[in-house]
Amino acid sequence: MANPLRLYLACIKNTLEAAMCLQNFPCQEVERHNKPEVELKTSPELLLNPVLICRNEAEKCLIESSINSLRISLKVKQADELENILTKKFLRFLSMRAEAFQVLRRKPVQGYDISFLITNYHCEEMQKQKLIDFIIQFMEDIEKEISELKISVNTRGRLVATEFLKQFM
Amino acid sequence: MQCSISETNIVYVIDIVDPPRLGFQLTLKLHLDKIPRGKFILCTSFHYFFTFSFNAEAIKIITRISEIQAIILSSQLKEMLKSLNFQDDSQAMNNNNNNNNRRPIRIVYHPSEPFYVFRQREKITAVFPMNFRDNSDVVIATSFFQNTVWFGSVYFGWVGPNQKEMGKAPQCSWSPVPAYQLRGEPVQDLTTNSGFVSFDITPRHVEGKRLDKTVWNLLNFYAYVKYHIKCSRGYIQRRMRKRMDSLVKLLNNTSLKEETQVMNGRCKYIKELVKVPKGKLMIKQRCKEMSRRVKISRFRIKINGCARFRFNQRWISLPKFSSNPSNKSYTKLD
Repeated sequence: MANPLRLYLACIKNTLEAAMCLQNFPCQEVERHNKPEVELKTSPELLLNPVLICRNEAEKCLIESSINSLRISLKVKQADELENILTKKFLRFLSMRAEAFQVLRRKPVQGYDISFLITNYHCEEMQKQKLIDFIIQFMEDIEKEISELKISVNTRGRLVATEFLKQFM
Repeated sequence: MQCSISETNIVYVIDIVDPPRLGFQLTLKLHLDKIPRGKFILCTSFHYFFTFSFNAEAIKIITRISEIQAIILSSQLKEMLKSLNFQDDSQAMNNNNNNNNRRPIRIVYHPSEPFYVFRQREKITAVFPMNFRDNSDVVIATSFFQNTVWFGSVYFGWVGPNQKEMGKAPQCSWSPVPAYQLRGEPVQDLTTNSGFVSFDITPRHVEGKRLDKTVWNLLNFYAYVKYHIKCSRGYIQRRMRKRMDSLVKLLNNTSLKEETQVMNGRCKYIKELVKVPKGKLMIKQRCKEMSRRVKISRFRIKINGCARFRFNQRWISLPKFSSNPSNKSYTKLD
């Protein structure tokens, strides 16, 4: 993988390791409620400063942390119309099946393509280091999958066009 | 509109109803009882015994009947392409609305998918206005059209060194705006979201048996493109599903419960060997282990059948020494 991508992913990994220190914190305003504070943003004392990591103008990652939850939003590179369509389709496909992923948000944050919401309960059920590795692997796999899909669609178009024109010969 | 059916058998099966039903150009009556029934062929295999009927003639008749619509709709295009082959401008197309040979002719093979054919010098151009419902279809189709245009130019010989390839495939072009020959045509037919694809048919493409192939390819161009888009979407969906499964598996490996899950027999056996008991359980087990080892060291050699010689079942009794004075067996001497 190219060096800029490695540096980008390393930066995200280090930030997640620092940000993923979550603990159980019941809601301060409503009795017997336990809500992810990063989503509500009602109590500023419970929120940490959001961190924006940009690889370039098109690719960035926003990490917002709070006392009991962490939100990671990703913007994926889309060079042309085909990549745009493929990215949209694929990430929407994953978001619609968010219950299978547990940590995935059904709707991405505005301005981004996909979002994760990790709570203290997830950290209790899953190993923190492996969860961070999963996020990094997810980002790599998305990029790889979209490139492969683009190449496949173009190759299919080429083959089909050739076969169509050969019928005239 | 008339069509001629030359096969003898079909003539007995189909009757043309005159006048046709209201709203239709042609009505046919089918006599199903006159379709020849089959010869029976008995087939056996090793395990199964089955029969089936096979009638090539009936299948041929049914195929020809199903082709009637295609033949009628393609006849106009076929006549145009034939006239190209003969280089005869006096063979005018059957078009009640137009007097000019060079005006485009609108052919509708599928409903709401018309395409235009007009004659130019030494060639006939077929223009297909392309419309798709979904934006992703437009993108996939655009990629296909780009490849068709590029390969069309390669096989046509404009690009590429191979002289033998020249003039083989019809030249293909794509344009976001309609050709100027289509001026005056209905606006709803010329409104597209994916541009216009044109094929230039030359006399080479209508020689002999190629005429039917060319007509069939042109009439089914829309269906071909839509099938390609459908297959591409299906392929994309399959890949997305596969990738999703692999990502979910990856996430499931992060679970803390994974280490205590029941694994396969071999791993369980290894785990039991390696397991170290904790706390009181450990002390008890250690004591048991110690007593077991003492027993082994005392009774190192065990011979079957010699149980009465073992110490715990000894036949030699040893005197017991007790501190209790009442058990003394001697008397004091004076």
